[in-house]
Amino acid sequence: MNSTSSSRNKRGRTKFGGVSPHWIFIAPALIIVFAILIFPVLYSIYMSTYDWHLFYSSDKKFVAFKNFVELLKDKEFLHSLWLQFGFVVIALPIETVIGFFVALLLNRDGKFYTVVRSLILLPVFILPVISGLTWRLLLQPEYGMVSFFLEKMGFGVRAWLAEPDFAYGMVIVQDVWRMWPFMFMFIYAGLSGVPREILEAAQIDGASFWKRVFKIILPQLRPTIATALLLRLVDALRIFSEVYVMTGGGPGNATMLLSLYINKQAFEFFNIGYASAMGVVLLIIALGLSFFIVGGNIKFEGERG
Amino acid sequence: MRRIKKKLLTLTIVVITLAVLIVELMPILVVISSGFKRDIDIWSKGPFYFKPTLESYKQVLSNEDLLISLKNSLFVGFISTLISIVVGSMASYGLTRYVFKFKETIAYMFLSFRMIPQISLVIPLYVMFSFLKLRDTLTGVILAHISFNIPYVIWLLLPFFAAVPCDYEEAARIDGATEMQVFWKVFFPLVSPGLVVASVFAFLMSWNEFLYALILSSVNAKTAPVAVNGLLGQYAPKWGQLTAAGTIMLIPVFVITLTLQKYIIKGLVSGGIKG
Repeated sequence: MNSTSSSRNKRGRTKFGGVSPHWIFIAPALIIVFAILIFPVLYSIYMSTYDWHLFYSSDKKFVAFKNFVELLKDKEFLHSLWLQFGFVVIALPIETVIGFFVALLLNRDGKFYTVVRSLILLPVFILPVISGLTWRLLLQPEYGMVSFFLEKMGFGVRAWLAEPDFAYGMVIVQDVWRMWPFMFMFIYAGLSGVPREILEAAQIDGASFWKRVFKIILPQLRPTIATALLLRLVDALRIFSEVYVMTGGGPGNATMLLSLYINKQAFEFFNIGYASAMGVVLLIIALGLSFFIVGGNIKFEGERG
Repeated sequence: MRRIKKKLLTLTIVVITLAVLIVELMPILVVISSGFKRDIDIWSKGPFYFKPTLESYKQVLSNEDLLISLKNSLFVGFISTLISIVVGSMASYGLTRYVFKFKETIAYMFLSFRMIPQISLVIPLYVMFSFLKLRDTLTGVILAHISFNIPYVIWLLLPFFAAVPCDYEEAARIDGATEMQVFWKVFFPLVSPGLVVASVFAFLMSWNEFLYALILSSVNAKTAPVAVNGLLGQYAPKWGQLTAAGTIMLIPVFVITLTLQKYIIKGLVSGGIKG
């Protein structure tokens, strides 16, 4: 080696003034991430131990875990938690089932199906705000398109978003509309690992269709579906924009999902200490569930090939 | 007999496919077509009345507030994407091409950042940015958007960097390239397909993002989704203008997703999108 060999480490890499080179590459990201992710998260834990009003920060009072105790007694919070739970366990399975069958349907060669596959993905990329806006328009009594069809189907003229149960249902419908193509895309990609003959035989031979679906196709797709569901779960837990624009959490608090309730406590009632406590709870739920589900599903793909 | 049966089956499949497609795209068609209607016609003439006019677009394009917000959205999108790509690709490179302690821990840490709910983060950010005088500034919104884009870019690029054969860097080192040169001159061009996916996604996520922009801006730093939400008002929304503005905002989204479909799917499968 040449004269610089003294400044090289074991693997023969140049050091920058004694610092190993990998840190030079990772440091900028770590510093930024510390400033806008790690520190804020720690700060929100700190905030959650205070009785803290947004406009009277100097009057904040340390209350230790009082906010968390209050949470358990807050009927509105428990209501939001329940709505959030229902949203996840209703919307995600429906999205998976539709995505699965449409993937089987569209797993065909030909220009026609290629075009359909790409058009069907459009709703996934729509701005959440526009999606919420769209469904609000569609559900307007008298002139909304969906209201029109529901009326023709005999449901009568209704202000769908003004009735608690319907509004909640429609928030779920909106999410299913937007996100089943997301599941479709994962499952379609996963189908490429299933031999074509099995799929085709399954479609033509009606009798054994269900057997093949459950015995052959689904087991093959399990890891794909698990990964897709994890990503959906994380997003479904923090859904905000669509619902905020579509119903604003109303009528009453019929669609007040967790993020909306936290937003309301923080930026309408200005209880930022209390809201932070709820934020911390939501954070723990989100991280906990993802670690629980990730298990071996998402692998670190950073090893050199 | 068998051939007739097969033809019938094909026909059925085409019909079902078209039905799915129509149902799925109907809401988008409603948005686009409503943008070419007058508010008054939308309210009074039922969903199928359609006599196209550009009136709503004229009103939207003369709405200064909205135009500024569109400009803000573009600016925030470009800058947050640029920073995320530069910083994120460096980190991704560092995590794949070197062997050191804690590297998996750090990689998983970046992954777990993607699970943080925006609402949990926006409250401390609001207090911090108030203190730093960053509230209602584009810098503040950009920082908030970087917080979800950097972890995304890092994870998306890991397999791209890992796939580059060692020979390339060895050759460059023998030629006397420094670590930085190896990265910028050798690796950066080699992973360009990954960089395209990552940039497109980072931009889309920033363009679609609503919650951070809503809370962290008030007047000056409003992005387009926030401005549209503001147009919504409490009573009798002006649907013509709202949908015209919505259509304008959808143009970049649809252009990107339809032209870069192949890349996009790769990006989605490796990490999901959400505003």
